[in-house]
Amino acid sequence: MRLIRSEFLKIRTTNVWWLFAMGALLLLALAFAINALNMHFGVLNPPPEAQQGIDAEQAAQLAALKAPAALTSYMVTSGQYFGLMFVMLIGIITITNEFYHQTATSTFLATPHRTAVIMAKTVAAGIFGALLWAVTTAITIPATIIFLNAEGVEPALGDSAVLRAIGLNLVAYVLWALIGIGIGVLIRSQVGATVTAMVVYTVGTIAVAIIIQVLVNLLHWDWIEDAQWAFPSIASGLMVSGVDLPGQPHYWIGGLILLGWAAVTGLIGTLITRTRDIS
Amino acid sequence: MPPVDRVHDTVPMGYEITDGEIVVSGLTKHYKQVKAVDGLSFTVKPGRVTGFLGPNGAGKTTTLRLLLNLVTPTAGTGTIGGHRYADLADPLQHVGAVLEASSAHRGRTGRNHLRIICAAAGLPDSRADEVLELVGLAPAAKRKFKGYSLGMRQRLGIAAAMLGDPRVLILDEPANGLDPEGIRWMRDLLQKLANEGRTILVSSHLLSEMELLADDVVIIAAGKLIAQGPLEKVIAEMGDVGQVRVRTPDADKLAAALGSATVVKGDDGSLTIRGVDAAAVGEAALAAGIVLHELTTERPDLERVFLDLTAGKEAIR
Repeated sequence: MRLIRSEFLKIRTTNVWWLFAMGALLLLALAFAINALNMHFGVLNPPPEAQQGIDAEQAAQLAALKAPAALTSYMVTSGQYFGLMFVMLIGIITITNEFYHQTATSTFLATPHRTAVIMAKTVAAGIFGALLWAVTTAITIPATIIFLNAEGVEPALGDSAVLRAIGLNLVAYVLWALIGIGIGVLIRSQVGATVTAMVVYTVGTIAVAIIIQVLVNLLHWDWIEDAQWAFPSIASGLMVSGVDLPGQPHYWIGGLILLGWAAVTGLIGTLITRTRDIS
Repeated sequence: MPPVDRVHDTVPMGYEITDGEIVVSGLTKHYKQVKAVDGLSFTVKPGRVTGFLGPNGAGKTTTLRLLLNLVTPTAGTGTIGGHRYADLADPLQHVGAVLEASSAHRGRTGRNHLRIICAAAGLPDSRADEVLELVGLAPAAKRKFKGYSLGMRQRLGIAAAMLGDPRVLILDEPANGLDPEGIRWMRDLLQKLANEGRTILVSSHLLSEMELLADDVVIIAAGKLIAQGPLEKVIAEMGDVGQVRVRTPDADKLAAALGSATVVKGDDGSLTIRGVDAAAVGEAALAAGIVLHELTTERPDLERVFLDLTAGKEAIR
């Protein structure tokens, strides 16, 4: 318990946490606006010409998104994309700061049991993720009600699928903090770890989607299309959709994949840290 | 800079004092290319300041980090009060360590840096303010670490080491970055802490400083033990009892009176005599009726002993 207090104090006593929180909230406003436009023109009031030339699967997806529960979960989880990135970065920095600022020495002098230190860091970063989720959700819920009322749709906030999406969003915020810890212990360099993670998170998501689409079109290996779900950011998007959309795996599979990533990176990183020489 | 009398309030917290002897036994650390520490054994006694000496690259820092469980040994053990560091239940209440000056987050205040350590060690936050007072950093407590001078960083390191009021204090080159007043302050503090019965192990390559500070010395080179024991004894055991310096108007007469002793005439007119002690020179002068203007014994200093002992050992491998 005292270790968790110490680790949380570390996050609280530098500028990083509120810079990240501000960044996440600014991007939340942007994301909500884009999602609202997307829903308005893409799903609720699509222009007639967009209706032509879409195949049956896409039409079914659009129809499923039109349901109030699907619309509400989509809007309420806005800002997730960048929010999760900031939570991941906090997780990474929690670890790499110790080496960047050479504080690992005093940390491991106070607590020679390194596994306990990493566990405490994991919990502290998870708490930070949960707090950011709470603030984000406190903003998106009223914003969603206002937007859907303006669109003439009854917000389905009490719907079990929506509650599940909000809950799963919390799970995503916590799991991404854990993935950040995992990346931090694997890549000790502050700059190396943050840049790698951000590039993989942003460009990587699109790159994987494109590569897989090209492979499917070239080789007609349809199973490759399912491989994209193993990519953490795509898996987390799947998890928080809350409803099973046609042509996609069950939402909870995304959760299991995320948990797997967090567990594997964290475990390998902890084993390395236990025997690493601190100098 | 604090007044020097600040060192008199070390705020003991009444933790039970156990035997604080440090025992290093066959300690070895091999990296891919080098044997940084090679079968090193020595002991450090409580109640004394022990200087840990060696040329740069001798393995001093690695030895201290091995002792503190920060580096995993290839072989051998290092124990503090009979326990390995990793086995101590509340390590900071037993052992304080100052390893490098630049070891706090640049954007964090000195006080918060200490409070984080307090939280992890289960110590009350108030200890942070007490040790800041002890090292004279209280006025800079709420300033960020990046604004600290090298000397202030060194003091913050000492403050962190004193948080748990430890029985054993281990310092790696603590004089680095301190100005002469700071060095004197630290010397007084360490001697006071040793007089309280604590074990003080302090590494340095500043030999002149160690001569003033240390009761015992452990000298290593190339990862191996060269000499250990009380400072006086290590110097005396160099086989040279010292030399006698004499000033006299009758230099040639005195040289003749001394017979077999080696007499070397210096540029400033003084004589340096080896092979006899000062008493013998005085008696010989009296018997021969020679006037002496000066008669002093020059002990070999630690620096000369150190250079002799470590000669031929490659410092950097």
